[in-house]
Amino acid sequence: MDKESKLVIVGLIAAVVFVVVGVVALGFANETLDVIARLFGMPDWEVWFPPLPDCGIPGLGQNVIATLFLGVGFTVLVLVVTFAVMRLVTRRRKPSAEGPSKMP
Amino acid sequence: MLSEKLAAPAQSGKPKSEYEYHIQKYYPRAALKMHLRDGYLSLIVSVALWIVALAFLVVAFWRANRRLDEKRVPLMATLTAMFFAVQMVNYPIIGGTTAHLLGGPVLAITLGPFAALIAMTILLTIQLPLGDGGILSFGANVFNMGIVGTFIPFAIFAAVWKLAPSRSGMIAGGFLGGFLGDLCAAITAGLELGFSSTFPYGPVIALLAMALNHSVIGVVEGVATVMILLALLRMRPDLLPVQPEARFAAHELPAPTKEVA
Repeated sequence: MDKESKLVIVGLIAAVVFVVVGVVALGFANETLDVIARLFGMPDWEVWFPPLPDCGIPGLGQNVIATLFLGVGFTVLVLVVTFAVMRLVTRRRKPSAEGPSKMP
Repeated sequence: MLSEKLAAPAQSGKPKSEYEYHIQKYYPRAALKMHLRDGYLSLIVSVALWIVALAFLVVAFWRANRRLDEKRVPLMATLTAMFFAVQMVNYPIIGGTTAHLLGGPVLAITLGPFAALIAMTILLTIQLPLGDGGILSFGANVFNMGIVGTFIPFAIFAAVWKLAPSRSGMIAGGFLGGFLGDLCAAITAGLELGFSSTFPYGPVIALLAMALNHSVIGVVEGVATVMILLALLRMRPDLLPVQPEARFAAHELPAPTKEVA
């Protein structure tokens, strides 16, 4: 197995661990921004109604298994989309033979 | 008193809209994260930040096309996916509030701020169907987390590294970059709220309210940034743009001499 595949696998395993911890143990979110919004009576209207709010499937309520599957599925989706987008972006250029230069 | 209000426990929030009532009733884990939601910002602020975000994204894609090393794409995809998962972990801070890591500092230091901006934008886009952020506020979220949350940490890390190109310089730069990057992202979010007509108390109150809790969050982000950098230094030092033993040994390819259509 090459180094890059190993990196992706290790990263995915770590990501799955974070999803499990996030869903099972540390899922409750009450962020400063939202506390402030509530405290100061800010308007709360939506133009976007997410199809999978709170990483859950509508109708199933607080179903941990569904949230876990969605969490892992979307993590893989992020990986695939980032990979695909960046491959498209970087492949339109010939690799330089000059090698590394300086900081990004 | 503002401090008393902020120290009040979490139950102070009552659902105000039908949407929020629905969320709190059926999804008690709550999806509310650091992301600004539609309605928090006035339309003019939202539109202005959309324009700024789009301008930065155009430059970021142009830079990535010309300068990002193709070999760094797996690292970029892996880190982006990892920080998507990390953002699902909400740890408690003060006054019943919670926080999560952003990941911008690590992405910026390892990939450069432009690639980090693209990564954060992809992450924020894929979070939209899950209820994080909103359409109108998307530009603001990209600005706060994708631009301020990556360019500031990168600039701080680069400045510290220039002064001390060593392991301790990497630790100091990583911590300061993570801490100040988060704090600045929170401050800009506070300013955006403050300058919106939807917020009745002005920018100073909004800024103080955001900065208070996010100074704690910044410490955690700083520590996490250092831990990830040290882990990469130990296991895959070739993935770091800077290494203590080889100053500025970046892995970014220079601009090509000849454009390929």
